[in-house]
Amino acid sequence: MGEGEKLLERRFSREDLLKLAAAAGGAGLLAGRAGAANAALARLAKESGQLQVLDWAGYEVKPLWATYQKKYPGEKPKVTFMTNEANAFAKLRAGFKPDVFRPYVGYVRDFAESGFTQPWDPKLITNLKYLNPTMVKAGQYNGKQYGIPNDWGFDAILYRTDKVHPTAKSWSLLFDKRYSGKIAWYDDLNQLVWAGYYLGFKQPYNQTDDELKRSQKLLISKKKMVRMFWSSETDMQNAFASGDLWIAYAWPADWVAMKGKGLKVAYMHPREGALSWIGMLMLGKGTPRSEHAHAYADAWSSLQSSNWLENNYGYGAANTKARPTSKDLLKVLKVTDPGALREPRAHIDRYMPRRAQYARLWQEVKAS
Amino acid sequence: MAGRRRKRLDLTTPGLLGLPVMWLVAFFLVPIGIVGAYSIDIFSIYPAKHPVTLAGWDDFVHSAIYLKLFWKSVRMSLLVSVVVVLLAYPVAYYLALSGTKRKYVLLLILIAPFLTSYLLRVLAWKVILGSNGVVNSFLYWLGVRAHDDPVSQLLYSRFAVMLVLVYVWLPFVALPIFVSLETLDRHLLEAASDLYASRWQAFRRVTLPLSLPGVVAAFLFVFIPTVGEFVTPSLVGGTSGYMYGNQISDLFGTGFPDWRTGSVLALFLLLMVALLTGVFARFLGMRQAGPAH
Repeated sequence: MGEGEKLLERRFSREDLLKLAAAAGGAGLLAGRAGAANAALARLAKESGQLQVLDWAGYEVKPLWATYQKKYPGEKPKVTFMTNEANAFAKLRAGFKPDVFRPYVGYVRDFAESGFTQPWDPKLITNLKYLNPTMVKAGQYNGKQYGIPNDWGFDAILYRTDKVHPTAKSWSLLFDKRYSGKIAWYDDLNQLVWAGYYLGFKQPYNQTDDELKRSQKLLISKKKMVRMFWSSETDMQNAFASGDLWIAYAWPADWVAMKGKGLKVAYMHPREGALSWIGMLMLGKGTPRSEHAHAYADAWSSLQSSNWLENNYGYGAANTKARPTSKDLLKVLKVTDPGALREPRAHIDRYMPRRAQYARLWQEVKAS
Repeated sequence: MAGRRRKRLDLTTPGLLGLPVMWLVAFFLVPIGIVGAYSIDIFSIYPAKHPVTLAGWDDFVHSAIYLKLFWKSVRMSLLVSVVVVLLAYPVAYYLALSGTKRKYVLLLILIAPFLTSYLLRVLAWKVILGSNGVVNSFLYWLGVRAHDDPVSQLLYSRFAVMLVLVYVWLPFVALPIFVSLETLDRHLLEAASDLYASRWQAFRRVTLPLSLPGVVAAFLFVFIPTVGEFVTPSLVGGTSGYMYGNQISDLFGTGFPDWRTGSVLALFLLLMVALLTGVFARFLGMRQAGPAH
């Protein structure tokens, strides 16, 4: 069904009709201006059509936005996949105009400044008050709410306890030469960040030229011990399960998955501090479906969706009332530990003023 | 009065070639032009104003890493191409010259892997080469390796990339050599035999030189795409099997998109491959022309 047909065939809910009648009639009575009534009609007309969502694969499933359909029955968002923030940026730059999309917390400022987004109206997201305040604040830029936090997790070290005996709870396990050839790093410029924490730099997310050179040198010198740089979680999990890997830079869900396969694994938070990521739903600039978009964000933030996320994907949910049924996940996410996400125990990803430099240096590590 | 006859406009060639040429221009030359524009900042993924600059090319030329990666990929591709041709030639020779009645059935069996997905064929090697894969399990069973000491270099290594590329390209390479041998004039072989040439001499002095165009075509057929290969290295290459094509893919698609550098690398690859192809073609042309009398 095309967009035009949907416009004609859209069924107005009773609520919509009442709103329309009130807006048109009330505006007409009080202000006596046809323009106000037309504006109400225009608003509803503008809001028709499918909500355009740009999101990660796996996040399109209905249980994650179930309450959206309660508000807009019969309306299903149209989801296009993004593979990472660079991919999302390229799509936006090419002219794609999603109503909502999801970069992670380190990119909130980049996208807020890009001209492709606009702030949310917090009053329209009723579940915002239940979301973790630290995460909500991380989604703000210049005092405005640009990102609504939904999913989160840690970047730390997964290892097999039957094969690996760490000498310290440290990022150095990722280049322990006793396990050369059994280690995997994540294919991401964040490797320079944990290298920075390991080397004791003050601001690993904003290293100086010298510091970056040292971090890069560390990674290049240790690269020969690394079996693979993973970009697909499935690939890494398969390699781990088949015995090709014993140690990996990984997320909590990977620990849960490997435990589920019967492997003896541990998820180590290094003493230098784990890294942490938070998914931030952002609003497309000039979206013609702002009300729908807010409803979508509210749906994602609901307790129902949050519980589903935790129980099925093993990621944390920003809704503080959500609790996973799995005791393993409860433990690895440290949900009941309020200090788990705070410095110095964890370092939430953030804006990186020198991200281009980090990206270049990471490419050079891979090419070396 | 007999005047000059009006010259009829011959539209046969434009009519036949027009569409393919337009297609080539629209979907090959224009995109290359666009990539070229990105490489010198005429276009940019970032909306801010920026002057045209050769900085991307300058960085590339002075970067030890990109050129080193390029030559690493060329070496790997050369080795893969030589191995594939050496393996494919006997297969094609048998199919073309053995006189077997089942030659086309055997040819069909040879190209049967094409009926399956490329990705599946590559992924199947993970099952074969992994720490608990077919090869290592066989070594454990033989007692050659202990169970906690697999041969880990089989997978996620340069070796794995080259092995999989040989496997994937073998059927492609056998075909042009087969065609080249199939069209060989058998009377020449009879003549060689009449002149008391042994089978090896006939092969070396008659069959091989005449099949050389097919061999060179086959070599280029595998060399050109494998230099820029990135799918196989990303699946089975690990850290040491990373190739030039992976770098181009990463610059466009991950981290922080750097389309300028990615465009420079892509154009450099195109130029080098065109150059190498030209050299090979010239070499082939000289061999076909033969020595001047």
